[in-house]
Amino acid sequence: MHKNCSRREWILRTAAAVPGAWLAGSPLGRAAVAPALPVAVAKCKTYDATELVPTLSKMFDQLGGLGRLVSGKTVGIKINLTGDASYRLGYAPLGDTHYTHPQVIAATVHLLGRAGARRIRVLESPWATADPVEEVVLRANWEPRDILGAAQNVEFENTNYLGRAKKYTRLMVPTGGYIFPGFDLNHSYADCDVFVSLAKMKEHDTAGITLSMKNCFGLTPATIYGTGAGVDEPSVLPNGGRDMVHTGFRQPSKSAPPEKDPKSSRDGGYRVPRTVVDLVGARPIHLAIVEAVRTMAGGEGPWIANSSLVSPGVIVAGLNCVNTDAVCMGVMGFDPMADRGTPPFETCDSTLRLAEDAGLGTRDLKRIEVAGTPILQARFDFAALRRERRAKMGRWRG
Amino acid sequence: MLTLRSGASRAAKRDTFDKMNAEWTPMRWPGSWKSPSALGLLKGTPINCLLIDKDAALLPVIKQAKQAGLQVAEIASPPPGVAVVPGEWPGVAMARGGGASAGPTGVPWVDSNSWKIRLEAARRPGTNIWVDVPPKGARVSASSYRTAIADAGAHGGRWVISLDAQLAAGIGDGKPDAVAAWKEITGAAGFFSKRDQWSTYVPEAVVGVVSDFAGDNEFMGQELLNLIGRTNQQYAVLLKTKLPKTLFGGLRAVIYADAQPPEAELRKQILDFVNAGGLLITGPKWGVPPGIPAKDDHPRYAARTLGKGRIAVAKADPDDPYILANDSALLISHRYELLRFWNGGAVGSYLTVAPDRKRAVAHLLFYADRGPDHASVRIAGRYRKVNLWTPDRPEPRPVEVEIQKDAVELHLPAVSQYAAAELEA
Repeated sequence: MHKNCSRREWILRTAAAVPGAWLAGSPLGRAAVAPALPVAVAKCKTYDATELVPTLSKMFDQLGGLGRLVSGKTVGIKINLTGDASYRLGYAPLGDTHYTHPQVIAATVHLLGRAGARRIRVLESPWATADPVEEVVLRANWEPRDILGAAQNVEFENTNYLGRAKKYTRLMVPTGGYIFPGFDLNHSYADCDVFVSLAKMKEHDTAGITLSMKNCFGLTPATIYGTGAGVDEPSVLPNGGRDMVHTGFRQPSKSAPPEKDPKSSRDGGYRVPRTVVDLVGARPIHLAIVEAVRTMAGGEGPWIANSSLVSPGVIVAGLNCVNTDAVCMGVMGFDPMADRGTPPFETCDSTLRLAEDAGLGTRDLKRIEVAGTPILQARFDFAALRRERRAKMGRWRG
Repeated sequence: MLTLRSGASRAAKRDTFDKMNAEWTPMRWPGSWKSPSALGLLKGTPINCLLIDKDAALLPVIKQAKQAGLQVAEIASPPPGVAVVPGEWPGVAMARGGGASAGPTGVPWVDSNSWKIRLEAARRPGTNIWVDVPPKGARVSASSYRTAIADAGAHGGRWVISLDAQLAAGIGDGKPDAVAAWKEITGAAGFFSKRDQWSTYVPEAVVGVVSDFAGDNEFMGQELLNLIGRTNQQYAVLLKTKLPKTLFGGLRAVIYADAQPPEAELRKQILDFVNAGGLLITGPKWGVPPGIPAKDDHPRYAARTLGKGRIAVAKADPDDPYILANDSALLISHRYELLRFWNGGAVGSYLTVAPDRKRAVAHLLFYADRGPDHASVRIAGRYRKVNLWTPDRPEPRPVEVEIQKDAVELHLPAVSQYAAAELEA
């Protein structure tokens, strides 16, 4: 470590010098052996299906093809519909700013169907409602049939409550979890052979960034993890957002696994990244897709002041969510090795570091093979916009 | 959750009860305006009917007002052809301490007289409907007055202009800010009086509420109208005591939530509507409806199919009109909503069409004191031209229009409490 030596080399040397069992059980060791799988990056300027479908198809081929992953399988796709559908950034359609774009969802569904997926289930826990997802997207001005008709056996399910099951499904975190040892979730997250996180590339007010992993924050049903969740048992219908997880002002319904340490920090910048890692540990992601053909800079939704519509024209996909999010951060102009105190994690812990420590995947770009467009060529500099925005805000504050 | 879809043809249009008349612009004469010279304040305004309390000191005012050709009456005995309904001060209800109070789901609680006007119009077609609600508090903002005028005017009624004491005194004394507020108030009233042809337009509706809205059904029926309006569903008031033959033409759904089962004739009419593709939302008081059970995964409704249509029967007697109003939006489906807002805030709406159906007006009401930023509205229908009118300007406002499949989307400029989108097919 005293001479020129990459972090990877240092970790590998260290790994050779210490007992394997000890290392494997420590965050340092888990990071060293954290998986590194290929990530595909592609430029895509429009949401036109004639550009989108071949682009995604090529990306999936670069990852080894969808067929081997989904053929004959039930696929669950977690999309991102954050916030109420009546809320826009300016006049921009929701898919252009903070919702996963419907054309990307439809194109993905189409390609999954073409690759032989037996059943495709499009999942989301929309803001504070048990309304069918079809009804939520109608309010966003989408046509649900565009998605339902993109392949055979496609259906939506609102996972913000019990949904179509008789009981919630308990998924435990194999490593024991940072905040939660396990979660009670809608059955859809267990009743799928392949799980896809289909996210929007954005910054996030609490967690710094929201990519394929943070998208999974919405796995939690508000009936158990929401502000108005039942105390002993889940409420029948969701009520309110997930302040409980953000601030820890209360515990989930007693029927679900409680926090490991209710005396731990109540700071959202501590809790949200850890809860996200717990969730993707409990419900592993097989395919991570993060789209930013158009998106927003400055935050995760139009309620974030000074956010703006941007057109990065890029899509990132990978078979490991940590690797994929690390490449996304590179595309966004951020350092995926950044930790608390460094953009975009000025006030929070890095979800990527926590995930890497949990052994979920490496965030080290040197260990990740990037297929397709190199990161530098795909770069859209969210980091520079962030600096400008913060400088202006600093000036406004005087 | 079950989503019942229905496809009643919108070709056959319904007779409407909501036939309006709006020949008057009434004003309650402030008691402090004792000099007949104050009548000069009405010059250039649309005010043509004064409601003056019995007060010997105001006799000279009454005499001169009559000489000037103004109608003079008392609120208790308005001119013939006028119905006065007591109202609520419209706007976002403010909680103690100034914060906006919230409805059961946290959305702002809005008071509006729209449903009262429409119910009265259904009960007394062709009547002038005045809403009588004096301003709350010692001093009311000009924006709040504009809301009161627009809330009534948009729905074919008229708010009885009633000034708070401080404003009336200020106008009387010629104080510039009070005079400016007076001009805004009379300007807003003038906006509607110049467009009284809009009162001949008929409501475009997706859902009809069938009731007598009286007796045991007063609370549920009237609150349903109020709260369905808050969901921005376009509704029809259907008095079961006055049903015409083309009752349900153009509707996608009807709600029957009265405490008594319907009479045989009404039952047949409603079931014919369902057979033709409509949706009936009702409660157990209806009895066991015909048809066959459908897939049932709604927590509060059992579904049945009948002919081309569907029936959603509440599993328990509906006792909360808020839940029923919101359930109805989902049972019908947002697919069929005629107006859809983004960034609208505490919004209200009323879509009407000209008798020849070549023109329509979407009345857009924003009940917060400050109008919304970057609000958009999608209006279902094939329209090729849109003019956006606001009471503060004589000419239409520039508006970005996006033509969509079977709809237009308007990106509204900054507007205050009210705008009217006049649409041409």
